[in-house]
Amino acid sequence: MKRKIPLIIGTVGVMLALAACSGASPSGQSGGKVTLTVWTGFTGGDRPGYAQIVKDFNASQSKIKVVMDVEPWDTIQQKLPSAWLTGQGPDLAAPSSDPNVIAQYVKTNSVLPITDTGSGASQIDVSNIAPALIKEFTYSNKLYAVPANYATLSLYYNKTEFAAAGIATAPTTLAEFQADAQKLTLGGGTKQYGLALADNATIQMWPILQWMSGGDIVDATGCSVLQTPAGQNSLKTWSDLVVNNKIAPVGLTGAEADSLFSAGKAAMEMNGPWAAPGFKSAGINLGIAKIPVGVSGPVTLGSTAPLAISAKTKYPQQAQQFLAYYTSKAVQKKFSLATGFPPIRTDLATDPQLLADPIISVFASQVADARLYLPHLTNATQVDANGYVPLIGQITRGKSVATQTAAIAKTINALTGCSS
Amino acid sequence: MSTSVRLAPIRRRWRSVGPAFKWILLSIGLLAALIPFIWMVSGSFRSESDLFHNPASLFPTSWTLHGYQGIWQELPFLRLLLNTFIFAGVTTALCLLFDSMCAYALARLRFRGRNIAFWLVIATLMVPFQVTLIPVFIELFHLNWLNTYQGLIIPRATSAFGIFLLRQFFVSIPTELDEAARIDGAGHFRIYWQVILPLAKPALATVAILNFMNLWNDLLWPLVVTSSPDMRTLPAGLTLFGGEHVTDHAVLLAGATISLIPLALAFFFAQRYFVAGVATTGLK
Amino acid sequence: MTADTIGRGGVRRGGRALPPAVSTDKLPESRRRRFRWQPAWLFMAPSLLILGVFVIWPILVSFWYSLHNWTIGATDQPWVGLGNYVTLFKDPQFWNALGNTLEFTVASVILLVVLGFLTAVALMGEGLVSRIFRSTYFFPTIVSLTSIGLVWKFMLDPSIGLVAGITQFFGAAPIGWLQSTTLALPAVIFVAVWKNVGFTMIIFLAGLKGVPQERYEAAQLDGANRRQLVRYVTLPSIRPTILFATIILTIQSLQVFDLVYVMTGGGPIFTTDTLVTQIFRDGFVNFQTGYASAISWVLFAVIMAISAILLRVFRYNDVD
Repeated sequence: MKRKIPLIIGTVGVMLALAACSGASPSGQSGGKVTLTVWTGFTGGDRPGYAQIVKDFNASQSKIKVVMDVEPWDTIQQKLPSAWLTGQGPDLAAPSSDPNVIAQYVKTNSVLPITDTGSGASQIDVSNIAPALIKEFTYSNKLYAVPANYATLSLYYNKTEFAAAGIATAPTTLAEFQADAQKLTLGGGTKQYGLALADNATIQMWPILQWMSGGDIVDATGCSVLQTPAGQNSLKTWSDLVVNNKIAPVGLTGAEADSLFSAGKAAMEMNGPWAAPGFKSAGINLGIAKIPVGVSGPVTLGSTAPLAISAKTKYPQQAQQFLAYYTSKAVQKKFSLATGFPPIRTDLATDPQLLADPIISVFASQVADARLYLPHLTNATQVDANGYVPLIGQITRGKSVATQTAAIAKTINALTGCSS
Repeated sequence: MSTSVRLAPIRRRWRSVGPAFKWILLSIGLLAALIPFIWMVSGSFRSESDLFHNPASLFPTSWTLHGYQGIWQELPFLRLLLNTFIFAGVTTALCLLFDSMCAYALARLRFRGRNIAFWLVIATLMVPFQVTLIPVFIELFHLNWLNTYQGLIIPRATSAFGIFLLRQFFVSIPTELDEAARIDGAGHFRIYWQVILPLAKPALATVAILNFMNLWNDLLWPLVVTSSPDMRTLPAGLTLFGGEHVTDHAVLLAGATISLIPLALAFFFAQRYFVAGVATTGLK
Repeated sequence: MTADTIGRGGVRRGGRALPPAVSTDKLPESRRRRFRWQPAWLFMAPSLLILGVFVIWPILVSFWYSLHNWTIGATDQPWVGLGNYVTLFKDPQFWNALGNTLEFTVASVILLVVLGFLTAVALMGEGLVSRIFRSTYFFPTIVSLTSIGLVWKFMLDPSIGLVAGITQFFGAAPIGWLQSTTLALPAVIFVAVWKNVGFTMIIFLAGLKGVPQERYEAAQLDGANRRQLVRYVTLPSIRPTILFATIILTIQSLQVFDLVYVMTGGGPIFTTDTLVTQIFRDGFVNFQTGYASAISWVLFAVIMAISAILLRVFRYNDVD
């Protein structure tokens, strides 16, 4: 025992010495080359697409080296605010998969306004990026992030189960969608559900159902419209189908809904392009169609993650140069082809190669009709977590739509500061 | 064995219920303890469609290695393993030293402020980690310890639970031993080092194993302190395979299996000491 | 203890007892005697320093946050005094989380203490079978909560899980345990008990082995029956063990986070939301650090109060 103590102390000493050498901050300048760190939470099937952009950028020039570090969104959410506060954080980051979170960072002056915009070779070509996304990241006329990606949701369906139910094609209208969902529900859901519908820890699916049926969550002034007749009606149609007709199981997370669909236990699911590889490998006879047209025209959910620059970066110029490369036409085209995401750029909408791709074309064709979830809303994350998610949870478990929407409307209005 | 005699009355109670019944219950418990692990390991070899179509099966009907291949290709595996060993190993070693020193003072020395010190240590057990996360992060930044081994290790180099456990054990060692040593001219450090520690091996083994286990499994701490992939630990690295819409169960289960293997091996070889260790601490 | 404090080099420095950063062992004989009263603080220095810097100071800082409308990174942190605590007591989500946390704690601690005690009694033997059973029961303790939470989440999944597979095999409809507002919390409690029963068993084994045989013999001479032996000999003798197990498990359970976070994320509709998941959500998702800190301090107070009550109930008198 006695002889071990010097050994332990020795080991610790060596470790600490090692650590001191290797632990230097990765960000910085060496040999005239600037190193930029980027944190993102892209752990899914689209991850290689982002890695490829970084790799190509590093190969394209010799002045800047970008190191992208992928961590789960949860971790980034916990670390990034304090990391950026202390100036220790990355030069660039995608702070969350929720675009509204950028508002918080703007409020704390943690992100740098993007100024190097224009159509020049090394400038961020804002005018060719989807205007809805630019608007989402613009606060007080300043742009604080570029979209790291842009996804729309489409309708995945199981062709075998459609054939078994005698349905020839995917639904194209709201009425067909609701009828098919019921027809595809077998044994009251014990054998098969019509729709895999997630309501928590997921890309938002319920807002699409509401929009299709003519309802919405909040109006332009941030006041809840859930409790209005149109809002209640849009929720009630669907919650009745869930509660009475059992077209979908209750309380699924996104991952669980995906499992259900992959297992062939649900015939349809609304989801983004990231889900396609998993569904294919699960061995189902997969079809992808546009979201059925709603009562007031086609609509779907658009989803984007912000990519922003730290206000404390030492290399704002280089960081913007990277963003310019990231959002450039050729790079985005390559990214779309690799991941199946629709392009963030409007000038790629008619690109023949992208149009020819059976998956990308479906997602890309809906870009014009896509709406973001609670864009630019004050306290949007809380409106979601304390308002919308519990509301859907309650009404799909049989609670009265009228009572619940009235209660949740109060919660939402208090959060958004709506006075009426 | 004396223990079996000692507990004869209680054991006889069981006997009155019927030994068969007792062992049936215990065997159900045994299955309940094991089945999740069997399912986890078998699930890591099952394809998605097998999992979906045969949920009642405990074993794969068709085998696949893609869960392990995915992890092997995506992660710098040996580096993660090395980091985890450094983190868990060095921290455990420091913990043993510091905890036993602190416990020695609390158990064997009389001084003013002892109760306060003891309760202060116990109180730290009651602080959830999430609460101190932001202040600790800012401290580590000021120390320039973020993303370093010392930042990973030193804040974790003592554990209130270890101090408490060792103190309870040290209290039970007869004081005559110290007095005899003191008459021989030994100072506190020698008494601690040559009298108390050798007697406390089972308790030390327990604290070592409990600490090593917790550190090995720790997820949030390494994720928060480290930011470069070179510094990651194994559980932190494996989180890359989870996410909102990531549904490859085989990969996730393979990750869980891989992070369990080193601990399971250690448990297999050390459990004799361990179970004996806790059992002889004579906790009070 | 402040009277004899001598600084390095023999210079009297005044009343403060700051232990010098050298081991007494290496000091010359003459000086060591002067320091003799002091080594306690020296022995405790590393641990107290670490706990002080990385636990105690941060919790005090978090108390400071809780008096502000504190947002990480903001330039302006407005002082609100006890405002966060007032809001808290009117917040239904807080009461819901507190209720769930207490329900989780009471149920899991009682189940663990009872099951741990029973398995310890049943598996006291030194035979091979008992040893194998003990090791197996202990095995779940070594796995991380995040991995095993994930495994159980999958096993309880109504479409791919083993549990659903078995219920379907017997012809019943699969149950969505974690999607149900009534079954989710019991399911999480079950997994917590499943994981820790081996640990509790080991603690009880240690306690049971420490009961002196003579007490049983004396009681038997007095004509005690088996039930009375357990009631009047075993249980009182292992009272310190019961206390230790109860306190440790209670402190751990009140801080439950990982398991809930992995299995349900606090849902469905907050039915498994606990105080630490609420702290996490408000602090890291909603950026309300001040409010989250206030919840933490209430949690801290709850843990202290419950520990004090437990010590009182078990009449713990071991410190001196």
